[in-house]
Parts: sequence; C-alpha cells; structure tokens
Amino acid sequence: MNHAGSVRVFRCALFALFAIFVVTSALVPRVAYAQAPANMPPYTPPKLANGQPDISGIWQVLNTAAWDLQDHGARLGVPAGRGVVVDNEIPYKPEALAKKKENEANRATRDPESKCYLSGVPRITFMPFPFQIVQQADKVNILYEYNHTIRQIYMNGNPHPAGHIDWWMGDSRGRWEGNTLVVDVVDFGEETWFDRAGNYHSDALHVVERYTPISPYHIRYEVTIEDPKVFSRPWNLSAILYRRIDPHVELLEYECYAYQLENEFTKK
Amino acid sequence: MTLRGHVCALALVLTLPALATAQAIFNPKDWPEGKRGPGAKSWIAERGKLPPFTPSRTPDGQPDLQGRWGGTWSGDDIEEIPIFLDVTTPPWESWVADPADGKLPYQPWALAERIAHREGLGREVWSKDPSKRLYYDPQAFCMKSVPRYSQRGYELVQTKDAVLMMLNWGHIYRIIPLDSAARPSSAVRMWMGSARGHFEGDTLVIETTNLNGKMWLDSAGNFIGPNAKVTERIRLAAPNVLDYQATVDDPETFTRPFTLNAPQRRQGAGGRGGANAVRDPYEAESWEHACHEGNGEHEKEIEELGFKWYLPRSAPKKSGPQ
Repeated sequence: MNHAGSVRVFRCALFALFAIFVVTSALVPRVAYAQAPANMPPYTPPKLANGQPDISGIWQVLNTAAWDLQDHGARLGVPAGRGVVVDNEIPYKPEALAKKKENEANRATRDPESKCYLSGVPRITFMPFPFQIVQQADKVNILYEYNHTIRQIYMNGNPHPAGHIDWWMGDSRGRWEGNTLVVDVVDFGEETWFDRAGNYHSDALHVVERYTPISPYHIRYEVTIEDPKVFSRPWNLSAILYRRIDPHVELLEYECYAYQLENEFTKK
Repeated sequence: MTLRGHVCALALVLTLPALATAQAIFNPKDWPEGKRGPGAKSWIAERGKLPPFTPSRTPDGQPDLQGRWGGTWSGDDIEEIPIFLDVTTPPWESWVADPADGKLPYQPWALAERIAHREGLGREVWSKDPSKRLYYDPQAFCMKSVPRYSQRGYELVQTKDAVLMMLNWGHIYRIIPLDSAARPSSAVRMWMGSARGHFEGDTLVIETTNLNGKMWLDSAGNFIGPNAKVTERIRLAAPNVLDYQATVDDPETFTRPFTLNAPQRRQGAGGRGGANAVRDPYEAESWEHACHEGNGEHEKEIEELGFKWYLPRSAPKKSGPQ
C-alpha cells in the first residue's frame, strides 16, 4: 500500500472510531459514569466467620496521586490527572507552602522515594503497585508489593503506645464502624512525603483512613489529614481502590532498595 | 582513609550483625569445653522423644499452625561451627540433617566458591588479609530469601486459600497460595521466590522456585543457586513447637539434595519475652523494623571497605565441544 493509501485508511478508521464514540455517548447515560460511586446501589459486604466485613483481597488504585495528590497536567513521564484532594486545596500555612514548593523543585534528591525509603501513610496506598488485605480477628494486615511493606492495623484493644515514636509507617489502630474500617494512625517521623510533588508533613501528622466497600470490586478510601504544624486546618482525600481480578494476579516483588544498591555497587 | 580509619570501620562492620539484630552474645570463658549449641542432631533427638501430637483445626479444616514463631538457626554457619569464632558465634552443631555428616554436598566448583566467599568475608578468623575482601553477607542490605527467612522467626496466619508469613525483621513477608496455580515464568526472579503450598495430613508443604540466587544461606558464605527448588515441610510437633524442615534441590550446585531441620518455638510461651508476654500488652505486636532506612552508613562502609555486590553463582560454562 502506498503512503496516500495508508493515510486514507487511517482517516477512515479515525472517522469510524469517532462515529462509534458519538453513538455510544448518546446511548450511555454519561452522568452515571461521572458519579458512579455515589450512584451505586447500597452494598453490604459479605462477613467473615469472625463477623467482620470481608475486605480481603488484592487492591490497587487507578489514579495518578503517586505523582501529585492535586490536579496536575501531563509532562514527560507524568500522566495528567484529577487529584484525590477533596476540593483540590491543601491548606498549607504560608511558610509551609514555600517548603512544599522547594521540595518539589528539589524532588530528585529530596524525595524519600528516591532513596527507596518506606512510603508512609497514605502515600503507600497511592503507589502504583498492588497490595493485599489479610484480616484476622484482632488485626488487619496490609501487605504491599512496593518494598515488601507491611502494615499491621491492631484491633486488639491496645491504644496507641505511649509517647511519640518516629515510625515511617506510623502506628495504626483500627475499628469497624458498620462496614467501614476506620484506621487511626499517629507516630510518624518527619521524613516521609505524600507524593512526588513535594507535599509533606511534620511529626505531628495524624491520619484517619476509612475503607468502605461499595461493591464486591470497589472500596471507597477516604482519608483525613491533620497536622497543625504544617496545615491551617484538617483536609480530606477521597479515592477508589479497585479489586485486581486479573487471572493469575498475586503480589510479586518490587524491592526498590535492593535494585538501587545493586546499581550502586556494580556501577563502574 | 587512614589505616586507623580502616580498622575502626572494619571493627564496626564486624560488630554489625550483633548490633543490628540483637543477636545473642556469648562469653567464651563461660562456654564449657567441647560444648556445641543445639543444631539439627539435638533437635531430631528431642523430637523423637515428643509424644504424638494432633493439632487443632482452623474453621477451614486446616491444621492450625498460626502464631508467632521464633527463629531457627543462628544465622552464622548452617554447617558445624567447630570453634569459637567471636562473641556472636560459639561452637554449634550443624543444621544440616541430611547428609548425615552435616556438610552441604557442594559440587567441586561450588565448594571452591564457598571457600572463596568465606575467605573474602574478612572475618578475622577466616582471613586476616583485607585485600581478599570479596562479598559481605547479602543480608546486611536488609533482604532475605528462602529458606534463610526462617532463621528470624515470623507470624504465621492462615486463610482459606493462603498462608501468610510476616517477619518483624525488615518487614519481610511471604504470601503462599494454597493451590497449584501456574507460577510466573522463569523470567520472574524474586528474593523470596514463587511459593505454592498444600497440606499433607497435618503438614504444610511449600514448594518455592523462581528464586534469584542473590542471598546466602548464612553469614558464612554458604549459598544455593538461582535455579534451586526449596521444599519446606512445617508441622506442629507439640503445642508450642513447629517442626521445620527445608530440602534444597539444586543439581547445578550440589551433588545431591540436602535437608535442614530445626525447631521454631512459640514466642511468649516460655521463650524470649516469657513473663513479659503477659505483663506487656504490646509484647505480642510486631512493631516497625525499618531496616534499610537506617542502614545508609553501613551500606557506604561496606562499599568503602571494598566488598562487591553478590550476584548469583552458577557452574562455570564448559568451553568448547565436550
């Protein structure tokens, strides 16, 4: 086929695709897509033998919050995305906003992800890797493929331990409110960020996560962030976790620091 | 770096295993002449005296192996340690039950490698010559593999279709599907490998492949190749004792399969933590062990001391037509 011929075929295909798009757009109620989670029928998850709602399985986000929690345009290597921050505003104190911008400008060296450190919460949820929830009577375990991270969310009646402790993933204590798993997380260090755009926190960070199953395949993931040293008021994130139902899906490995160290030791 | 600096740095690196992992410290003066710490032989003798035991069942009908289990071997040398190497390494029986002599049945090329690994560690009793430094124990970089993970102890959780093992050390975990679902192809190489499990009576049997061959069996240079298949058999020998066995099939590296045997004892059941397990409500929780995040200085030192990154070993290629 000559060049002009292939262009004609290409144009023809484009037109056909466009026609299909127009027809299907007219047939499918668009509003239902845009507001799908809110419009989904009420859902009651199955219960485990111990009476807890069953949220076990392999989950993953399908958004671009790993790059930036807020709305952002695309650039090389970064897909555009609508953010996960409710109303898109992170209420930084003025001096803290300056530091956020500085972080972003120096992301290549300052982002803890560049050193393969543990991601913190909720950043670990938004990493583009699957994670698996395994429930026990007195705790919920979340195993993340990224850096073989483990979170153990205790529901054994113990409160957060005394005193401030600097932990990368914080101290997680959970409870059920109806079908929602509510996780209270404190005891963070200052080293973790929220995303690759330099959004950050202090050791006063207090995170409350809410995991609500809204279908057999979706969990609504809502987070409240509180940190009076950095933000002028608490703020909220809202995203959807998707159940991975691909055949053969299982957690594999992404051993970030092992790959990094191997590169470091073997470069010559 | 000055010579003095080198000596200090080396001393620091050599004490790392003990400091980083709260390993037991032994005083040679308190160690009776001829004594060996208990390894496979002692465990098999102990196991032989245990009365028959039938474990309770989970609601899914599996033998209930759940709980927090202490580690197996010390991590130093899985073969016999005949002499006091240092305060972390007293004389100890081999963890190898088969072959009966407790030695790993290396192919000749692999034994030469093992000897080179050990010489190259620069541990004083093994080599006083720093120019011979080769590899540092790969575990110093906060990684594990199979079967070495079992040395550290873990929490075992069972669900209807999987067994989960969570180490507190370095937040290492394994998720072992209880089915024979197709494994990823051999292009997928993982530190913890690809595991598939099933129950044979009261015994959990786990077969692991797709390993990457980048981890040693111990801190003394013993190793398996990247194409090893590891078959673990785990059962409750008594209410508070797991009977752990790992058989390694790796004909590229060994002349025959070999088997490790060790007990894993329930934590908070008279072992470490003992009474505290009752007094301290947090004793049964696994608190964060962020290994790599605090390891930067050690990693730099290991590199500055001239140690190389350990890559998987396989038999030298035969040259020319045979």
